[in-house]
Amino acid sequence: MTVIRILWRHRALIAVLVRRDLDARYRASVLGFFWSLINPLLLLAVYAVVFTYIFSPRFPGGDPYPLFLFSGLLPWLFFSGAVLDGSATLIDNGPLLAKVMCPPELFPAVTVLSHLIHHLLALPILFLAMVASSVAGLHAFPWTFPLVMVALVPWLLTTGGAVFAISVLSVHYRDMRDLVGHLLNLLFFSSPIIYSLEGLQVPVLLHRILILNPLASLVTVYRDAVFAGRVSPPQLWLTAFAVGGVSWWLGTRVFAAYRETVVEAV
Amino acid sequence: MKGSVRFSNVNKAFRWRGPRSPHETIKGAIFHRRTRRREPSWEQYVALDGIDLEVTTGEAVAVIGPNGSGKSTLLKLIGGILKPTSGRVEVSGRVTALIEVGAGFHPEITGRENVVINGMLLGLSRREIEERMQEIVDFADIGPFIDQPVKIYSSGMYVRLGFAVAVATDPDILLIDEVLAVGDEAFTRRCLDRLARMRQRGVTMVLVSHDLDLVTSFADRALYLDRGRIITEGPADAVAARYRSDVAEGTGRDNSTLPAREDDGETRWGNGDVEIDGVELLVGGRGSRIVAGGSPCSIRIRYSVHKPTEDFVFGVAWHRSDGMQVSGHNTDLAGLEPIRLVTDGEVYCEYESFQLAPGEYLVDVAIHARDGLAYDYWCDALKVRVTSEVEWPGVWSPPLRWRSTGPEWGKSTEPRRRIPVDNDE
Repeated sequence: MTVIRILWRHRALIAVLVRRDLDARYRASVLGFFWSLINPLLLLAVYAVVFTYIFSPRFPGGDPYPLFLFSGLLPWLFFSGAVLDGSATLIDNGPLLAKVMCPPELFPAVTVLSHLIHHLLALPILFLAMVASSVAGLHAFPWTFPLVMVALVPWLLTTGGAVFAISVLSVHYRDMRDLVGHLLNLLFFSSPIIYSLEGLQVPVLLHRILILNPLASLVTVYRDAVFAGRVSPPQLWLTAFAVGGVSWWLGTRVFAAYRETVVEAV
Repeated sequence: MKGSVRFSNVNKAFRWRGPRSPHETIKGAIFHRRTRRREPSWEQYVALDGIDLEVTTGEAVAVIGPNGSGKSTLLKLIGGILKPTSGRVEVSGRVTALIEVGAGFHPEITGRENVVINGMLLGLSRREIEERMQEIVDFADIGPFIDQPVKIYSSGMYVRLGFAVAVATDPDILLIDEVLAVGDEAFTRRCLDRLARMRQRGVTMVLVSHDLDLVTSFADRALYLDRGRIITEGPADAVAARYRSDVAEGTGRDNSTLPAREDDGETRWGNGDVEIDGVELLVGGRGSRIVAGGSPCSIRIRYSVHKPTEDFVFGVAWHRSDGMQVSGHNTDLAGLEPIRLVTDGEVYCEYESFQLAPGEYLVDVAIHARDGLAYDYWCDALKVRVTSEVEWPGVWSPPLRWRSTGPEWGKSTEPRRRIPVDNDE
């Protein structure tokens, strides 16, 4: 695959650019890289308060709710953060693309990788939370936790495909960025992040639609590993990997179709 | 051959949808198509139209023409930044583009870190950059700012650092787009000196500039573009003269002959028994109009004999445009006894190390009899630009060093007063 080849050939440059991304983000701030931990924690606190005290969702396998939520929210933040940044990455690096000959593939890849690193930095927090809650007797410790590394693969592929497509589309269609925000919102609420598909009391039609959401399998596979402490059924894993594969294939195809005109359009 | 460029019938058209906005919107893509299907939906702008071009290794070619004539597009095609709409672009060797140098510096990280990233973007490995870091830092000459975030740089520092990285990449082909127009005078001088040295090393150069003096002193050949077509192509001074006259007339796009050479009447005389056919400055074995101070070079005189003679002297005289004599030397003073001059040929005056201060110099060349009778005496046969990192008064630039026992010195960071350091690699 040519995209992979291009990325591999420029791996050293990508590594430096990812570093620059992380450095630049944290250098000007007081708390530095702790922001990758604070951001999800703050978000978690808000959701936890809202959904524990204001609305109280009741469904099997959802206790303790903050942990349930956190384990769904983390991969989502990786995906949505990368996609949001991805919609701007080529435009932001436009001056570079127009002056230096470098493959445009680098920039979406850098976006995805730096968000992946944020995600990996936040994983220990999730792990510690699981340990703490099992010590406190609230929750059985999920021994399947290491499977998270496998569950991340379809996430990485899906995010990669989405970011490749969106980065290049937002160069050619400038209102893409606005659209992306709305789409992410829709996707968030239609994915089983703040709720579980099991025992969901909704009309049959809606339930079917929710199951069709490609991200559903990814969220479930991830959460089964880090929270529920079980290995998802094979068909769910297959679905997740299929979603990842299709997304990557489609995204890189879209990218290839628009690649040559990127420099002119930025 | 590394460092060559070949364009065969290259066209480049930019297109966008709608007359107003170059950017599409999704809304536009959906609705525009429906409502205005009959109108052509693409606006097209032809930036380059059927360009054939060949640049050989080590050549310096200037591209001149009015704004919007396609000069920068041409550079970007060579640099691989743009792809041609049709035709073939073949480029061999590493290309570095000096187009808005420093573009892509990230404001939040330090100059040094940006050098690494920029260098890697320009095709160096990390280790190569580390090796050249000192050279880059020295050339940029921005002092302690190198370890500060780029966002606090002045625009001058920005350009200096960008230029320093770009020239450190050791390209086979260097593309230069008006970069010398920015930066202060001292820096411009150092850039020019660096470029002259790279040129002497055999780096192919393609230069876009509105500075016709620079074009004629720097380039072997020039290309005059207008509205995406080549109007004329040839020796840099002839093409520049043509462009000058077109600009002066305001039009004149259609006549495609080169203007006649300037009338030599007043500045050239002699009985024509021996005739000078051409005078060239050779630097590194190639014709040039520019030489970096301190490097070897030579003057080549090509002549033809119309009437064989046994009394002849070849001479070269240097002077400044303000009339000040710099040096004169001839074969008679060198103790060469003429025996006979029958066949056409070439005479070389070779300089081991060209020790003139930076500036512009004019060269007179003559072939005459020992009593002074001129066969061909050609004043201002050549105009040569000498470059150097620093400028100082006078015309002599000897290689020198200061030694002392009493006073203590620090090294000045102000380039204008810095002790000249020859950092020719």
